[in-house]
Amino acid sequence: MGKLSRPDIFEAVFWLLIAVIFFAVSFSFNQPIEIYKFGATGWPRVILFLMALVSLGNLYYAYSKGSKAQEGRVGAKENEEPIKYTSAGQYFKTGMVLILPLVYALSLKPVGFYSGTPIFIALIMIAWGERRVRFILTNTILIYAILIGLFMIVLNAPLPQGNMSPFYDISAFMLKTKTQFDQMF
Amino acid sequence: MIENFLAGTATLFGDPFTIGIFVFGVLGGMLFGAIPGVSMLTLAAILLPFTADLSPAQGVMLFAVIYCTGTYGGAITAILFNIPGAPENAPTAFDGYPMTQKGMAGKAVGAAVLCSAIGGVASALVMMSATEPLAKWAIMNIGPPEIFALVFFGLAVASSVGGRTIWKGWLSVLLGLLIATIGQDPVGGINRFNFGYSDLAAGIAFVPAILGFFAVSEIFIQAEKNVSGKYTAPKFNVDFPSFFELWAHKIAVVRSIFVGFFCGILPGIGATLAAFMGYGEAVRWSKDKSEFGTGKLEGVISSETANNAATGAAMIPLLALGLPGGALTAMMVAVFQMHDLEPGPLVFYNSPDLIWVVFAAMFYANLSILFVGLIETKTILYLLKIPFQFLAPMILMLASIGAYISRGLVLDVIVMFLAGIIGFLLRRSGYSIPGIVLGLILGKIGEQNFAQGMQMVHYDLGTYFSRPICTILIIAGVLTLLKSLHSAFYQKPKVQ
Repeated sequence: MGKLSRPDIFEAVFWLLIAVIFFAVSFSFNQPIEIYKFGATGWPRVILFLMALVSLGNLYYAYSKGSKAQEGRVGAKENEEPIKYTSAGQYFKTGMVLILPLVYALSLKPVGFYSGTPIFIALIMIAWGERRVRFILTNTILIYAILIGLFMIVLNAPLPQGNMSPFYDISAFMLKTKTQFDQMF
Repeated sequence: MIENFLAGTATLFGDPFTIGIFVFGVLGGMLFGAIPGVSMLTLAAILLPFTADLSPAQGVMLFAVIYCTGTYGGAITAILFNIPGAPENAPTAFDGYPMTQKGMAGKAVGAAVLCSAIGGVASALVMMSATEPLAKWAIMNIGPPEIFALVFFGLAVASSVGGRTIWKGWLSVLLGLLIATIGQDPVGGINRFNFGYSDLAAGIAFVPAILGFFAVSEIFIQAEKNVSGKYTAPKFNVDFPSFFELWAHKIAVVRSIFVGFFCGILPGIGATLAAFMGYGEAVRWSKDKSEFGTGKLEGVISSETANNAATGAAMIPLLALGLPGGALTAMMVAVFQMHDLEPGPLVFYNSPDLIWVVFAAMFYANLSILFVGLIETKTILYLLKIPFQFLAPMILMLASIGAYISRGLVLDVIVMFLAGIIGFLLRRSGYSIPGIVLGLILGKIGEQNFAQGMQMVHYDLGTYFSRPICTILIIAGVLTLLKSLHSAFYQKPKVQ
């Protein structure tokens, strides 16, 4: 195994899988273009070939020299050692930090911005270790108020309203209130 | 030149709204550069969709100002927290942070303020005198084959920045290039890699991808530290360096201006290489090399002068050839594109007002660093007291809105968070986020120009190589790749 570690093998598999999957998908648009000899697949397939090749080089480097940074690399953050996880709880917390925003993004279509945002703000604070109820409530309201004030009232930005009851109704109520507010001035 | 500069100044300061944007850019760049966990790139990425409502000159000017002041702002976090605001501030942390630990943070920050201003102003002056002649020459000599060759060279050089090894640098660039192929191909308009989603036919939008890779992944990294209890607040004191302390390093300043300007001209490399080379040269010419890394003022001075000297130089390939020199200049390309403009030689003839407003703004922004920076450094202390639990959701929400507003698609918010997760995992594994973003930005330009170039030369590579600039750039790119390959096989890993 040389100096190979499990993450090195995982990385190699990851890059090779990307190359293989995308190469397979490239057959779905493998049509000739009359004015261009290399067609729509030429450029991406060269990239995929190089990706596979370089991932093998990366694996060989890890095999022969380990995972440490190469000397003289410009811009590589030498001092930034990845945080080592010692318990399942840490994995769970970081997992929540990563997944929660994605869940929020996926919920934007049905739930909308106006209803989903305060819940997300509070949840993300909890996921990031905040436990003071008053802090969470106060700051959720503050952030929500800043966002609504800036984007809904000042910039009049169109934000997702949701398409599911009662979230859509809440959005409609807020927008109606905003219109009435505008008419006052 | 002076007349144009004065005209640009008049336009800049003749309209209260434009002045407001300039002041916002100056303060915003410094502020976001100086808040740990976010950077000028975060601010720029959040602001990107909103520039659609500005005039092209205001939009590009705002980004140019953020670029100048943010490059300096990133030094504050590098010095105080050992968290470089951007890769170009990384060498500043080598000596800046040890100075903070010794209770000399004020001296380091003061030196960064002065040297950033000097480097930036010198660079802006050279940029104003050199960009237009270069643009005129480019119109006569640069075609699709040359643009492709330049993209190739830029990507070859860019792959050497940021990643832990050259292999990871290359993989980062290739990932960016692959993402850029999603959507319609630039010649036949055939849909590629859309996986059945019609929204992907237009490709991955720059805004959510850039927001995800830079802003969201940075927030995730800080959150991981927070969750693991590794986030520590720094100590701070304000005690600026004396005139004589700074005067003693005048040679280092002049040397770093030259190094910075030279590196800044190279597309795809910009200020990062400048800062590292500026620092490296300071070490090389020093009588006592062992002092570097332990809190030597010259280390901060060299790095900060060089990275700001690169800001003006980085505008030359952007404006004259349409090639970004770094992540933020890559976003400027997006600003141009949002207004149906293409940066390149013709922009000097089609939009001269825009160019000179930008030049004037960059000059004054660098001057502002000197005056506003010293005041801001003391004020920033209070802003740094904002709890991370408050700051992070706020940034995530701003990023979500920014991603959504650009096209009104929830898909863009999903793409942004996916890019954030991918960026977080890749950064942990030592890959280069600037490399991915540059690949993403340059990918489409490269493919389009390659296709046009091949059609121009009737697929005859001999004709391709009969064009001297094209040949030189391709050879330079190949040599860069070969040199990297040589180092990948024969260089020892760094002992840690």
